[in-house]
Amino acid sequence: MFDWLANPNRFKRITNKLEPFLIVISVILITLGLYFGLFDSPKDYQQGDAVRIMYVHVPSAWLASLLFLSLAISCVFYLAWKHPLADIISSSIAPIGAMFSLLTLITGSLWGKPMWGTWWVWDARLTSMLVLFFFYLGYILLSNAFERKIDGSKSASVLAIIGVINLPIIKFSVDWWHTLHQPSSILRFDGPSIDNQMLLPLILMITGFSIFSLYIITINVKTKLIEKKCEALLLKSNLREFV
Amino acid sequence: MKTSHSSWTYIFIAHMKRDFLTNSRSLIDLISIIGFMLLIILLFPLGIGPDKEKLGIVSNAIIWIGLIIAILPSLEKILQKDYESGWLDQIATTDVPLEIVLLSKSISYWLIVLIPTILSSPLFAILLSMELKYLPWLILSMSIGGLGISLIGLNGSALILGAKRGNILLPILIIPLMIPILIFGVGINEAVKIGESPFGNLFLLMALTLIYLVISPFISALLVRIAIGR
Repeated sequence: MFDWLANPNRFKRITNKLEPFLIVISVILITLGLYFGLFDSPKDYQQGDAVRIMYVHVPSAWLASLLFLSLAISCVFYLAWKHPLADIISSSIAPIGAMFSLLTLITGSLWGKPMWGTWWVWDARLTSMLVLFFFYLGYILLSNAFERKIDGSKSASVLAIIGVINLPIIKFSVDWWHTLHQPSSILRFDGPSIDNQMLLPLILMITGFSIFSLYIITINVKTKLIEKKCEALLLKSNLREFV
Repeated sequence: MKTSHSSWTYIFIAHMKRDFLTNSRSLIDLISIIGFMLLIILLFPLGIGPDKEKLGIVSNAIIWIGLIIAILPSLEKILQKDYESGWLDQIATTDVPLEIVLLSKSISYWLIVLIPTILSSPLFAILLSMELKYLPWLILSMSIGGLGISLIGLNGSALILGAKRGNILLPILIIPLMIPILIFGVGINEAVKIGESPFGNLFLLMALTLIYLVISPFISALLVRIAIGR
């Protein structure tokens, strides 16, 4: 199946058809989610209107972690089968994931100011999100640190895998260290501990954000494919001149 | 290429010997690391103030952080020299398992660089007016955590083989990985301070070091093979 999708031309054809759907669906979902979240959901009995930051904060945090996992999976594909498309996909995921983790940190700090009274606390979840951001940063820096692009891709792919092995360890150790953040309230064994009226916009936003990031990633991948083609053409014409 | 001596222990010991010999000829590296750590320790009282009580509270953490910062510049040297001289290429073309060689490299780094630095920590403890009853725990925790640090350092050193400005990049890649070791290592003495048993943190630190002992030679070997394939 992956071989079938890994052909760049076929990939381009499929994504060309898929793209309009992705953007339309994500815009609809995010608009609906924002409407329900901002106007049609109850205030929190403790947190008041500030709880509405959650509808951006939680989806970003979700995506930041999910994208790192997909980054690592695509890096495994790249290292195992050495397919250039996998590398292009992972290098398009990285900046988007980094932005989402930054967005999580910023919205979290905006949320923390009215709730905890400070912009930043050294709490377990905040710290591990900051570490995740540094892994994204390390991936991007390392993949650009070599003379030839392909050398950087390989080393950075291994870094992403190291990150995926280490992030749970870091998460555990930081949890052990200190916890102030409220525990997760959607993914729990005894069902969600959140009111349905708040859960609906949250789920809408999460799916909307996911589809939106999928859209941006496909655009990114397409741009990089075109870039690569241009480079190849340039190289060819240069060679012809040279000969 | 098979020789009668190609058993893994023989390879391991032979490479340890080589590292000991090459490093004992240049003790200046070790002295500069300890001096660097001393300077880091010097900066803290200048920044925090000479108040003995204040310093005593944070001394444990300062010595740990000082160790981590002081060894960062030397981490890239674990593999850099051998990569540039082509020695690693030669090893990789023989049937000697690269994982064993790399494991011996990080263990000899631990023994040659980290242990002497850690053993000079009584000096730092006195300078920071740490209570001496914490000192044995500090040395024990840093010795165990030091093995983990050198294994992570091996990974980092392998990551930047052949990179431009790798020495600047290395700390950004490596420091996030050292967070768990720092937390459990510092936690040992913090537990002693409040009268709890330090063994919870100690065992977690040991477990962590064992995990790195298992995975990091394989990851580093993968990275070295990638670097050589260039």
